[in-house]
Amino acid sequence: MTPAASDGLAPAIEIRGLTKVFGSGQTAVRALDGVDLEIGRGEMVAIMGPSGSGKSTLLHLLGALETPTSGSIALAGRRFDGLDDRELTLLRREGIGFVFQFFNLLPSLTAEENVLLPALIAGLRDEAIAARARALLDRVGLAGRTTHLPSELSGGEQQRVSIARALLMEPALILADEPTGNLDSKSEAQVLELLAELNRDEGHTIVMVTHDPDAAAVAGRVVFMRDGRIESDGLGRGLLDRLRRIREDLPLP
Amino acid sequence: MRRSRLRSYWGLSFRQLRTRRLRVFLTAAGIVLGVGMICGVLLLAATIQRTFTDLYDSFYGQTDLVVSGSESAGSLPASALRRVEQSEGVEDASASILAVTSLVGEDGRVEEGSGSTLNVSGDDPEATDFTDWTTTEGRGIRGGREIEVEESWAEANEIGVGDTIRLAAPAGIYRLQVVGLLRFSSGLDFGGEGFGSMPLATARTAFDKPGVFDEVEVLVAGDDEGSVDAVGDRLEREFGKGVEIATPAAKGEDVQRQLQAFNVVLYFFAGMALFVGGFLIFNSFNMTVLQRMREIGMQRTLGATRPMVVRSVLLEAVLLGALGAVLGLGLGVLLALGLIALMRAIDFPVGDLELTWIAPVAAVATGLLTAVLGALNPARRAGRIAPIRAVLGSEGLRTRPGPLRALAGVLLIAPGLAGAFLLGAADETTNGVIAAGIAGIIAIFFGIALIAPFLIEPLARVLSWPIRKLAPVEGRIASDSARSNPGRTAATATALMIGLALVVGINSLGSSFLNSIEREFDRSLARDLTVQPRGFAPGQGPQQTIAKSLSQRIQKLPAAAVVAQERLVAVPNLPRVKGGKEGPQGLLFAFDPKVYPQVDTTDLDGDGASREQVYERIDSGQVTVGKGYADEDGIEVGDALVLEGPSDTRRARVAAIVETIFAGGQTVGLSLETMRDVYGVTADSQLALKATSDAARSDLERQVERLIERDYPNLAVLSNDELKSDVEDQLNQSFGFFNALVGVAIFASLFGIINTLSMSVIERTREIGVLRALGATRWQIRRTIADESLVIALIGAVMGIAIGSGLGWALLKGLSFGIPGVTYQPPVGTMIGVAVAAVILGLVAAILPARRAARLDVVEALSYE
Repeated sequence: MTPAASDGLAPAIEIRGLTKVFGSGQTAVRALDGVDLEIGRGEMVAIMGPSGSGKSTLLHLLGALETPTSGSIALAGRRFDGLDDRELTLLRREGIGFVFQFFNLLPSLTAEENVLLPALIAGLRDEAIAARARALLDRVGLAGRTTHLPSELSGGEQQRVSIARALLMEPALILADEPTGNLDSKSEAQVLELLAELNRDEGHTIVMVTHDPDAAAVAGRVVFMRDGRIESDGLGRGLLDRLRRIREDLPLP
Repeated sequence: MRRSRLRSYWGLSFRQLRTRRLRVFLTAAGIVLGVGMICGVLLLAATIQRTFTDLYDSFYGQTDLVVSGSESAGSLPASALRRVEQSEGVEDASASILAVTSLVGEDGRVEEGSGSTLNVSGDDPEATDFTDWTTTEGRGIRGGREIEVEESWAEANEIGVGDTIRLAAPAGIYRLQVVGLLRFSSGLDFGGEGFGSMPLATARTAFDKPGVFDEVEVLVAGDDEGSVDAVGDRLEREFGKGVEIATPAAKGEDVQRQLQAFNVVLYFFAGMALFVGGFLIFNSFNMTVLQRMREIGMQRTLGATRPMVVRSVLLEAVLLGALGAVLGLGLGVLLALGLIALMRAIDFPVGDLELTWIAPVAAVATGLLTAVLGALNPARRAGRIAPIRAVLGSEGLRTRPGPLRALAGVLLIAPGLAGAFLLGAADETTNGVIAAGIAGIIAIFFGIALIAPFLIEPLARVLSWPIRKLAPVEGRIASDSARSNPGRTAATATALMIGLALVVGINSLGSSFLNSIEREFDRSLARDLTVQPRGFAPGQGPQQTIAKSLSQRIQKLPAAAVVAQERLVAVPNLPRVKGGKEGPQGLLFAFDPKVYPQVDTTDLDGDGASREQVYERIDSGQVTVGKGYADEDGIEVGDALVLEGPSDTRRARVAAIVETIFAGGQTVGLSLETMRDVYGVTADSQLALKATSDAARSDLERQVERLIERDYPNLAVLSNDELKSDVEDQLNQSFGFFNALVGVAIFASLFGIINTLSMSVIERTREIGVLRALGATRWQIRRTIADESLVIALIGAVMGIAIGSGLGWALLKGLSFGIPGVTYQPPVGTMIGVAVAAVILGLVAAILPARRAARLDVVEALSYE
């Protein structure tokens, strides 16, 4: 399914010298400044950092939503640079699943239809893919709500629908942008648990940008950014200390 | 209730429409009204065409050829019938005279309106009947004072076989016995006016047409087209110029051609309504695309390509267009029925609604096309939405229009005004001229639409001033809101502007003409009174005439000093220097040159000759030419025009050019004698009277009124003021009809304002929540929305008045080339009306959106994303 899977040995993500500058001249802002990063298959990585640290920009570049000023990104060995709009579109369609802070479900579609949308966009309309959509809804604990409209679902439920949608095309990479940023604590816990399970039990590669230490805590690896560079990149040890520091940086309690 | 599952990406377009019904309704309303107009107008045109085809088919029946005065102007000498009968290849012929008369009621009066009008043909009961009508009750005419009338007219006037009816004829009131009822082959109901047939001899005396025929109907021996053509050629050689030989079909086509200009006007207004519809689609889709930015960005992240996004927006437009078109068809039929009723009300004969297949097909096709064209640019914009918008939404987007846009607008307006000018200036409204004019007017509207966003800022500032004075807080918020998205405010105001500009433009013409006519009346009317048939409208079909005896009887009244006869014949082609049929449509106007100078002081340019000399020359057979026609055709004093009538063809020198805007200056003036000798016309159309003194004026009026009331109830006596208001009424009636058509376009723009306000409320949900949290009452929120609506409507009104005046001025500048003497006069009353209508429209449009805004839940509104 995934075009990038042809290269079995390449890491899920390989970033070299990635730089992104917004604007020009006096008002130019260097959002990313020569970032190198490698993410292995089946990893779950949290990207953290204060506002303006470049974490969102990194995620947007990873999702091929924006193009870098310089440097390269490769998804499962396939480099983004040189691809035109159509090729990037196909890359997103088949290789990347997105989970957004504001869910971004179409209000006029039911939960099942929202999950199915990527397949419909790709022109797939067979019963197998519909069955997979239902199975995914079942997987995220929403078997009984397939025909509900987004307005009839809670925030947590909507986010689980959007996770099911991200999984439908079996992408090589799932990108989550503040997936719990708009949820109450109970829903937040459910969504984080779901993401952790997907990574742990099913081997999905997940990259998540978050402000939330609790969210970062479920990730196996935390990349901490500041001023467009990676400040630290590590596992377990000292994590709680860093999280405490992050809390102090955060503008919100 | 659950719908079936979405099966493809394209199904999303259906779903979007189904779940946003209010928006769909408001957006489609423009298409519904536009398609309704197109369909209604096409049906009306088809009905009018059918009316005349039916009429000619029934009236002429088996007739192969019709011999008449050149394009039905003037009468043939009585010898014409014999000459036709003796011509080779003619199997049979029958001649008749034609006249218009009025039914006199039991109270001795003639009712106003076309219901009492009866078109009569005087036929020889012994001659073969070529018509295709059938006698449904009673019998045909045999002779004496008998008449057979068309059954639906008889029914409407409660007339039955055996009744005696009274008709106001030139020879006085005629009593006739109804011996039968007739029905046209198609069952045609002419809507108001009736038809009747009476014995030729009776008709000759009643209508004062001794020794003439108006038409000779010919039956050709042999059935093939060749023999008809051969006989036609032979008769043409036999009669020469001034007499027309035509097949009934060709005569029908002549009428169609004359109606074409009217049809073009109808199509123009329908096109404008549809244009407004397209504008609403454009505006609505632009707003939706902006509002769905995050959603479309998300689809792009899911792998939708740019072309897919573009196509899905266009698909939505197609669906919307199709829905609007189908609903529009229903409206179209209703509209056609309404227009038919309206036309009958202004005395235009129309039959019952004719349903054709081409009207709905054309209407739906143009509706769909308009919807797609309207959505084209928004769809392109949607395709350009980057996937990153899934995250950012519409944050940081530039909504200010660029300067190139203004330049493009200016570049469109200039040639647009030139097109409108051309439309007015053209000698002849050919299809090319009309297309240029319409394209010009649409270009002006497009240009304004492009420039409008730049005007919003200053206009909103100025126009919201009184509102801000009345309600400082609400007014300020409303004005800021209108200014915050100038593109959207501009598009909405522009949609309203189009309708209002058309109203102002049309009425500019109306007020200018009216003003100029009044000035001419003041300059030229030296008479005290005018006698003319009720509903007299020269140039609009056959008119009633005045009994010859009347002028002699008035002459004998003690208070009468001058009685001047006027005889008017509308001709499709005015006489030219070279002769032939290329002259423009116009009026032949005959008077007695010995008497007429006493009742008329119109300026004459006799190239040095005095007034007296000019009138002497007219008496000796020369003619005058209206300035409009003279300028157009380059006719000068001393040139010789070829007068081609059924009785004679002769050359006549031009004695003077007349400064008149009467009939658009398309006139040729001649003596009563010349009119009789060339055209065979001997009946008076109008009488101009002068009293012995100013003091005797009221005596004269009383005496003439008494005379007319008793013996000539189809006539009216008018003072000069009444004559003016009579012309004014006729003009207002035509412009009222056009205003009714434009009203549909204005109505369509109402939905545009509602749509914009609804979108504005949705967009500002959070802002409204903040206002409420800060203590704004529901009433204050309502005021805010209503004030924004008012600001938009007033901007539309100001632009409409400005553009409409410009448009009217350009049209008039063009027209005044053909009709010298017409000067621009701003329609002040209409302008005030437009401003008032805009305020009302603005307030009405705000009702629903304002209520919705006021009812928003504060907490939900604050957390709205």
